Formats: sequence, C-alpha cells, structure tokens
Amino acid sequence: MSYDPPAPQGGPPGQPPRGPRPTPYPAPHPVSRFPQGQPPETGPRPRPVPPGATRHVPVASPTDVTQYTAPVPPAPVPAGPPRHSTEATRYVPPVPQAGATQYNANAFSGSLPPPRPQHPVQHPSQRPPQRPHQRPRPLPVDPPTEVIEPVRDEDEDDYGDDYGDKYSDDYSDAYGDDYEADAREEEKPPPPPPDGPGRKTVRAIGELLITAGLVMLLFVVYEVYVTDLISAGKQDDATAALDDQWNANTVGGDQQRQAQYELIEGQAFAKMYIPVFGPDFKFSIVEGTTDKHLEIGPGHYVGTALPGEPGNFSVAGHRVGKGAPFNDLDLLNSCDAIVVETQTQWFVYRMLPKNSEVANWASKASDPKCAKVAPLGGPYAQTQGQEIVLPSQGEVINEVPHVADGTTPKAEQIAMMTLTTCHPRFSDKQRLIVHAVLAMNYPKAPGFLPPELKEQ
Amino acid sequence: MYGWIWRHLPGPLPLRLVQALLLVAGVVALLMFVVFPWAEPLLPFNNVTTQ
Repeated sequence: MSYDPPAPQGGPPGQPPRGPRPTPYPAPHPVSRFPQGQPPETGPRPRPVPPGATRHVPVASPTDVTQYTAPVPPAPVPAGPPRHSTEATRYVPPVPQAGATQYNANAFSGSLPPPRPQHPVQHPSQRPPQRPHQRPRPLPVDPPTEVIEPVRDEDEDDYGDDYGDKYSDDYSDAYGDDYEADAREEEKPPPPPPDGPGRKTVRAIGELLITAGLVMLLFVVYEVYVTDLISAGKQDDATAALDDQWNANTVGGDQQRQAQYELIEGQAFAKMYIPVFGPDFKFSIVEGTTDKHLEIGPGHYVGTALPGEPGNFSVAGHRVGKGAPFNDLDLLNSCDAIVVETQTQWFVYRMLPKNSEVANWASKASDPKCAKVAPLGGPYAQTQGQEIVLPSQGEVINEVPHVADGTTPKAEQIAMMTLTTCHPRFSDKQRLIVHAVLAMNYPKAPGFLPPELKEQ
Repeated sequence: MYGWIWRHLPGPLPLRLVQALLLVAGVVALLMFVVFPWAEPLLPFNNVTTQ
C-alpha cells in the first residue's frame, strides 16, 4: 500500500526501459533532476558516492546499486533520496521535493543518496581523491538492477510477485477489509443484539447440547470412579458381617464340623484372593449375580457348586467400576493361584492351561506351581484356562463346562472354579471366562495362612 | 436457559455465585445418586454374567 506513489511516476516503470539506462545515466538523470539552482551543492556530493555507498548498495538490494551508479557521475544524483531521508532533503534545499521524488522512482528508488550527502558535508576536503576508484564499479553492477526494479513497480506486495497477483490481491484485500471493519466496530459501542425468538431458540439448543455433553462426561466419572467408592462401602459391610458370622460360630464351636454355608442372597459366604494381583486383592464373595449383588462384590452363580465341591464353582465380577474385582482377569496366567477361604477351609484353585499352551504343556509342567495342573481330557476336553464367549453361552458354568448338566456322573466331575466378567473392557459384547481346578486345600487354623498367598 | 436462571437469582454478585454453585452441586448429586444408578443397568456397559 505504501508504495502507491511510485507506481504513477514511471510511465515505463516496471519494464525493460531501464536496461539501457546504465550507460546513459550520467547525462539524462542529472540534468532532469536538478534545476540550475543546485550546482553549489554538487561540490560536496562526490564524497558520498565512493566509500560507504558503493559497498552498501549491493548488499541491500539491486535497486540500490542502480541508484548508486546514477548519482556518481553528476553529483546531482543524491536528489533522488530526499523522500527517504531527511538528511538528503536538507542537503538540497532548493530542489522541490515532489519533483525529486518522481525522479527517484523513475530511475531507481532513492534509498542510497541519503547517506552520501552527509559525508561530503562533514569532510569535504579529505575525500575527493577516492572518486576515481568508485566510478568504474557502478557500471558493471547495473544489469541485475534493471530486472528487479520493474517487478516492484508493478506490484505493491512482494508476495504478489512470488505467489501470483490473484492470491496476493485477494488476501490483502480481504484482510484489509476485515481489519478496517473491525476497527470501525471497535470505535462504535456495540449495539445490544436483538433477542428475537430465533436467537433465543438457537441459544437454548446450544446450551442443552453442551449440558448433555457434560452429563455424559459426568456419567463416565460416575461409572469409573464413583461406583468404586459406593461398592467399597458395601464390600466392607459384607466383609464385616461375614467376619462376625465366622467368629460367632467358631467361638466354642466344634472344629470337626464340615463346611456349612448359610447361603442368603446378597450376603457374603466366602473370601477370595488372587495373590498375583497383589496382597490387597481380596473380596468377599456374595451369593447371587444380579446387579444389586454384584455391586457388593464378586457374586456366586446360584445353584452352581460350592467351594471345594465337585462341580463348577462359578463366580461373576465387574471389570469396570463397582470395585472392578476382575479388572485384570485377562492378565491371569495358567497355574496362577486363586485362593478361596471359607469358614473352615482354604481352597487353592489354579488356572488351567490356555488354549495356546496345551500343545507344549510339557515345557511348563516343570514349574512347581503347575504340579497339579494339566490339560484335562475326557468330558473336560473343551475346557481351557481362558476363553472368550458370547453372553448367551451359559454352558461355561455348567457342572462340566460345555457339557449339558446331568450327562456326567458326579463321580467323574472334578472340583473346578470358573470366573466370568465382561469383555472387552467397557463393553458387554462378550464374556471373558477363566477356568481353574482345585489343586490344594488346607483346614483353617489360627495363625495359619496358605503359602500360595505369598506367590507373586 | 443459564442466562435466565442467572437473571432470576436474587441478591448481589457474591450471593448469586453461591446460589449458582449450590444449584450445580444439587444437580450433580441428583445425577450421581438417582439418575445414574437407575440408568446404568439399562446401558450395555457392565454386564458380566452369562445367561
């Protein structure tokens, strides 16, 4: 935008005409630029041209060079610069600035001249000898200048040259308009927006949508964290009740009696530990698998076997929220211990080999943890340590998994434990199933803890 | 909606802020202890049993 003045100046501005100039420069420019009144000043001018000027010109830009060449011979050249620098103006007071400006634009932007006049004025006597050297230099430099200058005159912006006129124009115009518009708005106080019914409706809808998003975020927080807190309280209550019951029964009770369970839905009847999940992994198992029961802790499928009994002791647990007892069930490996504590006994179940491990089980059988674990045969041929099934596949908790109840005699059933949870995490599309077999049991005794509890 | 509520809260600014915070807390509590526990079993997130 600032360059507007130069454009009108040169009829021939951006184009080749300048090419020829280098040679003629001495005669035409000086004459036209400087009226007769100026001669007195010419004396001092020679000095500016030589030393500093020559060097500066090439570095700054090709245009400068051109300028440089022009001024050298006639001395009057400096007149061009006046528009750029105040010093130049001072130096050539007689010359009308308007006329000078035009000349500069035509020939070459007059940035160079300003510095030169200063030097001559200050030290007129010292510099004269340097002139001869400087004159030859300008001539060779000229050609490049010619090419570059035309471009500038035509386009206002450098960007326009590089990227094309359309782009630069559109961009600059749009930006300029917006900017100006903004400026105007800022000046005036913004008028209060009219609250029409349409505006109100749109705003209300927007607020409702934002509110809905916040509510959903809040639900995630509830599901993942708040339910943990609620369930922890219920789990503590159930555990306390179970401890009271066990202690009450053992006081003065006879040690000989066999395991007896008071199975009341919603009440805990056993505790479970998974040592590889850490020493703090312990949950009281409640009877029943409804949502209400599972909120308290892992739930025992009603009607399935009880701990230690032949059959399938099946337990369901949440994987996300609600205490998430089975959060890491997918990390359980074959032979890992699942310890169940009842009023009178400890039962140690160990996870069966996974499907991928069955073929090479011999290599892992040497592990002492796996002493009593091996791929099962017979009716249990389809039972592996871990499987992922559809929610409708309830046969995984049958007396013999995947085999209809009643077809296998009690005598052939082994004591198994089955854990079920949702899969994948945060979804209920499938179920993650873990099967384990009873490997060990101990009678409870004061101060005794099964060594399996210390496995890592 | 929120603008309407804000305009109808009585009192100076500090009092309004307190009232607004109380309203938010009340809504959150209602969601946490009534709405979410009711809605959660209806959503397909956390069914862990087989049938």
